[in-house]
Amino acid sequence: MARNFETMRISAAQALRQFWQGLREWCGDAAYERYARSHARHCCTAALLTREQFYLEELQKKYSRVSRCC
Amino acid sequence: MKRLLTIGVWIAIAFAGAYALGTIALYRGEALSATWFVIAALCCYLVAYRLYSAFIAAKLLALDDTRATPAERLDDGRDFVPTNKWVLFGHHFAAIAGPGPLVGPTLAAQFGYLPGTLWLIAGCAFAGCVQDFIILFCSIRRDGKTLGEMARDEVSKRGGFIAQIAVLAIMIILLAVVALVVVNALKSSPWATFTLAMTIPIALLLGIYLRFFRPGRVLEASLIGVALVMFVVVAGQWVAESPAWAHVFTLSGVALAFAIMVYGFAASALPVWLLLAPRDYLSAFIKAGAIFSLAAGILIVRPAVHMPALTKFIDGTGPVFAGKVFPFCFITIACGAISGFHSLISSGTTPKMIQREGHARFIGYGAMLLESFVGVMAMVAACAMPPGVYFAINSPPAVVGASPEVATATISSWGYQVDAPTMANLAHAVGEQTLFNRTGGAPSLAVGMAQIFSSTIGGERLLSIWYHFAIMFEALFILTVLDAGTRVGRFMVQELGSQLWKPFGRTGWMPGVIISSAFIVAAWGYFLYQGVLDPLGGINSLWPLFGISNQSLAAVALVVATTILMKMGKLRWIWVTLAPMAWLVIITMTASWQKIFHANPRIGFLSAANTMAAQIAAGKIPAAKLADTQRLIFNQRLDAAVTAVFAVMILVLLVEALVQWTGILSGRRKIVLQESPYVATKWAAGAEGD
Repeated sequence: MARNFETMRISAAQALRQFWQGLREWCGDAAYERYARSHARHCCTAALLTREQFYLEELQKKYSRVSRCC
Repeated sequence: MKRLLTIGVWIAIAFAGAYALGTIALYRGEALSATWFVIAALCCYLVAYRLYSAFIAAKLLALDDTRATPAERLDDGRDFVPTNKWVLFGHHFAAIAGPGPLVGPTLAAQFGYLPGTLWLIAGCAFAGCVQDFIILFCSIRRDGKTLGEMARDEVSKRGGFIAQIAVLAIMIILLAVVALVVVNALKSSPWATFTLAMTIPIALLLGIYLRFFRPGRVLEASLIGVALVMFVVVAGQWVAESPAWAHVFTLSGVALAFAIMVYGFAASALPVWLLLAPRDYLSAFIKAGAIFSLAAGILIVRPAVHMPALTKFIDGTGPVFAGKVFPFCFITIACGAISGFHSLISSGTTPKMIQREGHARFIGYGAMLLESFVGVMAMVAACAMPPGVYFAINSPPAVVGASPEVATATISSWGYQVDAPTMANLAHAVGEQTLFNRTGGAPSLAVGMAQIFSSTIGGERLLSIWYHFAIMFEALFILTVLDAGTRVGRFMVQELGSQLWKPFGRTGWMPGVIISSAFIVAAWGYFLYQGVLDPLGGINSLWPLFGISNQSLAAVALVVATTILMKMGKLRWIWVTLAPMAWLVIITMTASWQKIFHANPRIGFLSAANTMAAQIAAGKIPAAKLADTQRLIFNQRLDAAVTAVFAVMILVLLVEALVQWTGILSGRRKIVLQESPYVATKWAAGAEGD
């Protein structure tokens, strides 16, 4: 009984963590972390942008093309 | 055994959907529960997704999960980002879901609930979802190329140019019509105007927070912003109850139109981090919350639908907008069934973020099904109120009369009973001075949403709060379309201008920014202004113009898709895109012809202009109104010319495509498919990238 409860608690915590991570990805909150991981993985020669630089450059790009529909 | 059980479940779903559809089509009693709409829509969507989208994925597109997508091959953590399919579904849906599926079905409810509901369900399954899915697939196979680029590469250079011009022209009409919806929602409403005005300082505050204090921390900033917006929705009531403040925020249609133009210019010319981006974040959260709440509210309350299945206005004499059910129901519903604008999103960011080709089905086809469901919910919300109330809110004074007594008598004479005290009580309950002649769809949708929300939480006491929450939600995300669209339009103008003079194309060059922003705002602002002055309320002329332009762009997208499928050798299944394309050409051409040449002045632009010109010639127009009437005549002729331009563009593209198709079918033309070469994925089956 106690083990079942513990398994359920862990599953619920995992589901919540996944939901939170999904929400962060969806709204753009996790974009910088993803960029930094990709930068490290691809050993880019370009310098890693700071969080502020990345934020401003991403906004410029996002709002210079059709990003919202009717 | 398991297979038999699965088949049994799908047969049960199909029967449930067919039974629910049959019920809403054949029921002719007093009121019908909204549950039938939900069951019919959900079952049809499930069957369409399970069977039709699977058929397209397997037979037509042959989606290949072993093929590396652009997100995998070109992964740079910025433009090309492999993204979890659920997250990307959310991104894609947030991008395609705009005010169209809310406003269109609300306006189309004047024909009764049946024509609009059937088109929302069938149109999305056989046209809208197909377009979004196939264009997404085509763009994935071409490293995320845009619709314009694909039209140029696969159809012809002229076809690509037409697609690009069509996008700019459609954007101008779109921005004008959505701005008009906001003007009509806020007109003479201090509570709603205050609430929406306050979202600007809130956005500025968030912009500064995200730029200087916590760069890129979108989630926490958005949650703060949403809490502040909820506070100003409540605070709006205090403003409306204070005579001095209410006076400040009670604005006429013309004043609101100019205020929105100033806002559009500022959002386009100011740094994007200051106003545009934080508003978009706020809007995304509120949009998701409101749509989810509406779905939950409809399921919990299961309101009765009072609108009849068909009204007498299928004959074209409707007060909300003029024109017969064919073609104007399809033109009016637009985005909830198929939207040309979606093809720009499907060939924009989404193809660069998709992890596996197989996800295109869930994201392209699935997200459009959800958008259609939003349209069905809007239809239910509009039809749940008594039809007399619906027509009183949505009819312009030139059709039903200016005074409450005359308007209610006119509407009651059509067989939809309503009286002035009922309307006065309803207006008082939602915290408005009046609900008469509030054209545009937003106020009636807000009344419908508020009645559903208040039946779930708060009862009558909270009706006014819910109404203003709904108005704020609609206006907020309409303005997000407006400011983002104005900025994109500015870039398009700068790009076109740079072909005449190079420095004009530099996006950071301030004179270029100001001139191009002013140009694009003036373009949609003119149509907005003419809509505000139009005695028929503006929606009667502008919404069909928007619908025609939007459906024309969808036809362009399907022409591109058909050409690509033909080049892929999928002739056997070509009807999948050819049939919806032919249907769109038929409805846009019929609607264009009628809007230009119809003898009824409420439908035909030229007829309206000629009628007014004849009145001037006969001396029936007083001298004081002469200049206004001449401007109205010019506007009607301009609208006729714009409609003709859209029709000619689609016909030219069609001819270009027919030349291409004939060449392919006869073997005279060498087939050149501009796909990126096959590269095998490095990801194991079932594994996901970062």
